[in-house]
Amino acid sequence: MIGNRYPAADVLAQRGRWDAATRAVVLDRVHNVPEFRYFNGHDRVTLEALCARIIPQDHRPIEDRVPIAPWIDERCAGAASVGFRFEDMPDDATAWVLGLTGLDDAAQSIAGAPFCSLPSIKQDRILNAIRTGDPPGDTWQRLPARRWWINLALKQISGIYYAHPTAWNEIGFGGPAYPRGYAALNFGAREPWEADEVLDPGSSPA
Amino acid sequence: MKLDVRLSPNWLLDLEMREYRTTDPVDFCIIGTGAGGGVLAQRLARFGFSVVALEAGDWHDSERDMVSDEAGSGRLYWNDLRVTGGTDPLEFGANNSGRGVGGGTVHYAAFCPRLHPSDFRVRTLDGVAVDWPMSYEDVEPYYEAMEREYPVSGPAHFPWGAPHGYPYAPLEAGTAGQMLIKGCQALGIPVVAGGPVAIPSGRVGKRPHCIQRGFCLLGCKVGAKSSMLVSHIPDAIAQGAEIRTGCMAFEIPLDPTGQVSGVRYYRTDGDQRIEAEQRARVVIVAGYAIETPRLLLNSTSSAFPDGLANSSGLVGRNLMAQAGPVVWGRFPDLIRQYKSPPACALTEAFYETDPSNDFVRGYALQTVSPLPIAMAHLITEEAGGFGDELLRAMQDYNHIAAIGVLGEILPDERNTVTIHPTERDELGIPVPSMHFSLSENDRRMMVAGTGRARAVLTAAGATDTHAVTRYAHLVGTARMGFTPTDSVVDRWCRSWDVPNLLVCDGSVLPTQGSANPALTISALAARTADWLRRAAAAGALARRPSDPHAVEA
Ligand SMILES: Cc1cc2nc3c(=O)[nH]c(=O)nc-3n(C[C@H](O)[C@H](O)[C@H](O)COP(=O)(O)OP(=O)(O)OC[C@H]3O[C@@H](n4cnc5c(N)ncnc54)[C@H](O)[C@@H]3O)c2cc1C
Ligand code: SF4
Repeated sequence: MIGNRYPAADVLAQRGRWDAATRAVVLDRVHNVPEFRYFNGHDRVTLEALCARIIPQDHRPIEDRVPIAPWIDERCAGAASVGFRFEDMPDDATAWVLGLTGLDDAAQSIAGAPFCSLPSIKQDRILNAIRTGDPPGDTWQRLPARRWWINLALKQISGIYYAHPTAWNEIGFGGPAYPRGYAALNFGAREPWEADEVLDPGSSPA
Repeated sequence: MKLDVRLSPNWLLDLEMREYRTTDPVDFCIIGTGAGGGVLAQRLARFGFSVVALEAGDWHDSERDMVSDEAGSGRLYWNDLRVTGGTDPLEFGANNSGRGVGGGTVHYAAFCPRLHPSDFRVRTLDGVAVDWPMSYEDVEPYYEAMEREYPVSGPAHFPWGAPHGYPYAPLEAGTAGQMLIKGCQALGIPVVAGGPVAIPSGRVGKRPHCIQRGFCLLGCKVGAKSSMLVSHIPDAIAQGAEIRTGCMAFEIPLDPTGQVSGVRYYRTDGDQRIEAEQRARVVIVAGYAIETPRLLLNSTSSAFPDGLANSSGLVGRNLMAQAGPVVWGRFPDLIRQYKSPPACALTEAFYETDPSNDFVRGYALQTVSPLPIAMAHLITEEAGGFGDELLRAMQDYNHIAAIGVLGEILPDERNTVTIHPTERDELGIPVPSMHFSLSENDRRMMVAGTGRARAVLTAAGATDTHAVTRYAHLVGTARMGFTPTDSVVDRWCRSWDVPNLLVCDGSVLPTQGSANPALTISALAARTADWLRRAAAAGALARRPSDPHAVEA
């Protein structure tokens, strides 16, 4: 579990100082989480299990957790192009489906059960096999594991998480700052409206 | 048509924009409104020519369309499908080229250094790549003009390349930039702060100065950062140019005399899509180093079965990126790298060939300050970490300062843009496919640059350093040169094959040094515009440059 470095951070409390367009985009993200349209049943449970291991949020009450899987679902359902695909990869929506199958392939072969039914320690073992690029399972003969892991799983899931004000609070990011701007530019100083960092006694960041 | 586009909090572009009929040939039809196309439209309209610029994307209204938000800024990027491969595949989408009025300059970081004189002579000096068909002195006056017109901030005496200084004073560097300065100073490496960056350190017309909000890569809502959208396009319109948005060129037709007759395009307006053709006396392609060769290669005819203006076979070849490894360090003290423009300090001390290196040419070190999502992508890419490992690394976000290595990758014919055999975009146009592989010289340079950046961060006090390989700034796919067989265009950016066709964007660069390319692209466009004015008056655009009866302009 990670500590609470910026206990006083509340980026959203500043929303009255943001411009209207930015406020609309961020609040829409926070309040209008899309319904699942693309993944259902087992795939959806697997996707949610994957998101929960890449960004564990057990320390938060359920209602405070940042939703991630619905946004992956929305991307796949909308099939919006992200500008490119690697020659050795299918389009993103297909690669997601394949990758989730691959998670189960690897889980069956390493732990004898589907990914979503494993305890988190074993799930992490499966993910580490994918991370090192050589997981067991037929699917991974057709899908480059490392590419799927970095470019789809990690980048998309972390991209969705760090787009959310809850994650901004966790890392002490000041957030949108137009039209007000930033004025405390030297020595890593904070603006009067930004939160202080509070380190655990005896711990240092670096 | 009356425009209604906000460019800054106190600047509403509400000019009456002239509109031309597609059936009346205009003097110039330009494809793209980025670093090259924007300057051309402005110059040619000022010279009194009729100009239509076709732009695939839309206007970016600073209040309505731009947001201070990484995930919400997708409309700034060229997001149509591109297929990428090779041993070192390039990534496209958000990190690559722009779409809409202003092109990539809307979301660039705005570092605007010049090339060095040596960049124009790398074959002669180092025995690699090719020389340019022009010298630094040929471009110098245009560099000066662009630095005034963008405008660019920086030191009064820039210590590298040919002696020059900047019209606006250096910009304030935030704490992250100060780490680059501190590290360089500790190691005795010369460094400059506050530029050259196209963010004027003062108000320019209706453009207020920078508010240090750090969102330069998502478009500047303030209008402080120079981009074609606020520097040259408004003047182009005031001078009578038409910027026709939502228009995707898909073919440049050739008439029976061997000249191009105009541009065919799809115009999208909401759900409506029409096919149209703008007739023009001269066509200039300025769609970026990927879309430019794509359009030429998709424009086939019996005269040019392998793509328009491609008798050399070089359209789409010599695709170059700049090496852009990002190196970051963790510091005990707070940095808060999200404040201040990401572009604020650099050193070009390692730019030139150094005989003690195991490679030729060199690299620059520049500040980059990734916002949270960009930082998470760097961290995940470095080691593939997840779970608490990732969350912990990201919790140090405010203790991180990052340096970008910007290194010269040499041109290689095997690095290409071709047309994908089966894939089509949403409009049905065949998509481009890229192949990119590094050479040994490139790899060695990147290792050296990354090591140097780590040393600088360590000297500044970082307790540990990390690095990820990245690439930036694609150019080179319709290179200029000396003869019709060694290049696609001549030194005025005119096609060797088709007398009234030009290419004028990053595609024409034969090499690209270790300087971010936008200023050079704009300077070449301004130079080409001056030549076009003379050439049109002299009647030089009727014959091919290699024609024995060609007219010199
Ligand atoms: C994240 C990022 C940071 C960068 N930072 C810097 C920096 O600090 N300094 C620097 O110098 N450079 C930087 N660059 C690079 C710089 O933006 C580009 O090199 C430059 O804009 C290229 O100019 P161009 O004229 O070749 O093309 P662009 O500026 O990309 O313009 C091409 C235009 O043509 C349009 N177009 C393309 N095809 C068609 C078609 N078929 N029909 C109609 N319209 C079409 C596009 O929509 C686009 O508007 C950065 C780029 C990125 C992505
Ligand atoms: S940091 Fe300055 S130049 Fe960059 S986007 Fe913000 S206001 Fe514009």
